[in-house]
Amino acid sequence: MGKYLQVFKISFQQEFVYRLNFIMWRVRNVLQIFIVFFLWDTVFSAQGRQLFGYDRDKILTYVFGLIFIKAFVLSSRVQDVAGDIARGEIINYLLKPVNYFKYWLTRDISSKALNLVFAVGEFSLLYLILRPPFYFQNNPFLIILFLISIILAIFTYYILLFIVNAIPFWAPEMGWGGHFLVTVIMVEFLSGALFPLDILPASLQNVLNFTPFPYLIFFPLQVYLGKITGFLLFKGIFISTIWIFILWFFMNWIWKKGFKVYQAYGR
Amino acid sequence: MKRLLYYLRIWVFMSRNSFLMVLNQRSVLLIFLAGKVLRFLFFISFLFFLLKGAENLAGYNSTQTIFFFLSFMVVDTTAQFFFREVYRFRSYVVTGDFDLILAKPMNALFRVLMGGADVIDLITLPPLYAATVYVGKLLNPSLENVFLYLLLLVSGLLITAAFHIIVISFGIITLEVDHTIMIYRDITSMGRFPVDIYKEPLKGILTYFIPVAIMMTLPAKAFMGLASFTGVLSALIISILFIFISFRFWNFAMEKYSSASS
Repeated sequence: MGKYLQVFKISFQQEFVYRLNFIMWRVRNVLQIFIVFFLWDTVFSAQGRQLFGYDRDKILTYVFGLIFIKAFVLSSRVQDVAGDIARGEIINYLLKPVNYFKYWLTRDISSKALNLVFAVGEFSLLYLILRPPFYFQNNPFLIILFLISIILAIFTYYILLFIVNAIPFWAPEMGWGGHFLVTVIMVEFLSGALFPLDILPASLQNVLNFTPFPYLIFFPLQVYLGKITGFLLFKGIFISTIWIFILWFFMNWIWKKGFKVYQAYGR
Repeated sequence: MKRLLYYLRIWVFMSRNSFLMVLNQRSVLLIFLAGKVLRFLFFISFLFFLLKGAENLAGYNSTQTIFFFLSFMVVDTTAQFFFREVYRFRSYVVTGDFDLILAKPMNALFRVLMGGADVIDLITLPPLYAATVYVGKLLNPSLENVFLYLLLLVSGLLITAAFHIIVISFGIITLEVDHTIMIYRDITSMGRFPVDIYKEPLKGILTYFIPVAIMMTLPAKAFMGLASFTGVLSALIISILFIFISFRFWNFAMEKYSSASS
């Protein structure tokens, strides 16, 4: 446990080594929130408008909620794993007395902690600038389930990244390509990071609900907003948990296969 | 004219080399192409379903809103096709390879700005242009409006060129290019929607400081007959002004270049 605490501390300090990089990344997040905020603010500009099951308060809470959920779920260091494999540097870690998956989980938690601190600052700043109406959830039961759904989302994204980043075992030049396709394109659109998924037709939503993507961002926010309750809420938590198991087994299988073909070029 | 042909031949030569490098890695090409096509389709679907429910966005109907998005894509993708080399510029400065570019008998700015045309964008451009023409036809524009649209697209591309020059100049001074270019792209991506949706002071910033409104929204507005003569004239003047400023900044950055990495 002690060694992972040290990894956490070092990783946290490392983020400050590349301060400009980190600040630029947070600036980009704020800019993306601006676009989504003004888009939905315009759509809901008419007094008392209800659309796609949202009123103005709820849709703008969804947008502001994105700041926190993205800081919690989508901030990750695991994307560096592909480079480690492609350059052969993963061998260095395998020789050390640390579990590689736990090592990156610790680095992930460190990154999330730092991003969360900044997210609080950004949230306050944007709140003061934009003065949006805000929907406060006061049901403690829903708040607990909201937090559980976030923890499940963090694990789902972590495992998903480990699967995508295993591509360089077979094709070292495709590390960034796989990351771009799955985590930049698919996660951005299918997780609800750009728009709430319930604007899509019901048939499409039903299909999406059986994939892991909506449980990364859309589902936790729906729980917070109280838009999913009762049986559907527990069904969502259940599907999300099942996905973690499926992805976990798939990740283990693919990494075992990967190590068998790996020749550590560059080492 | 002779000089122009000389640079055209160099550009064709550099682009061919750049294409060959990407075509050598077909799987990478396919994965990025699939990503770009998926992103485009996802966004068009989002706009379609949004407008189906909301009926209009800041007073624009679904065809008009999709045309705004397509016009944004035309400017953005065309700029990426021509100026992809900018994304590789930092490594030239950090490794000292920029000195080798400076020693060549051609304009160094031309080399680092247009030296690596992107074949993936080249593949996506024809269907994008075709989709823009198709949706544009549904808006029944007059010949005059089409002319203004094309003129303003060129003006928008000049401003994107100016911004890319400013980014690489900034890169010479600070060694930071990657995030600056991505922040530039995040800001311009606000042009995916008509800038009428943004409120002041952001709208003012997007019109005069980083003129996304002029680069992406105004051409589409002119196409719909919604741009004034003053607006068009101002756009042309601003684009020339931006190019002028970017050249001055490039010269300033070159004076600061110390060749420290060589």
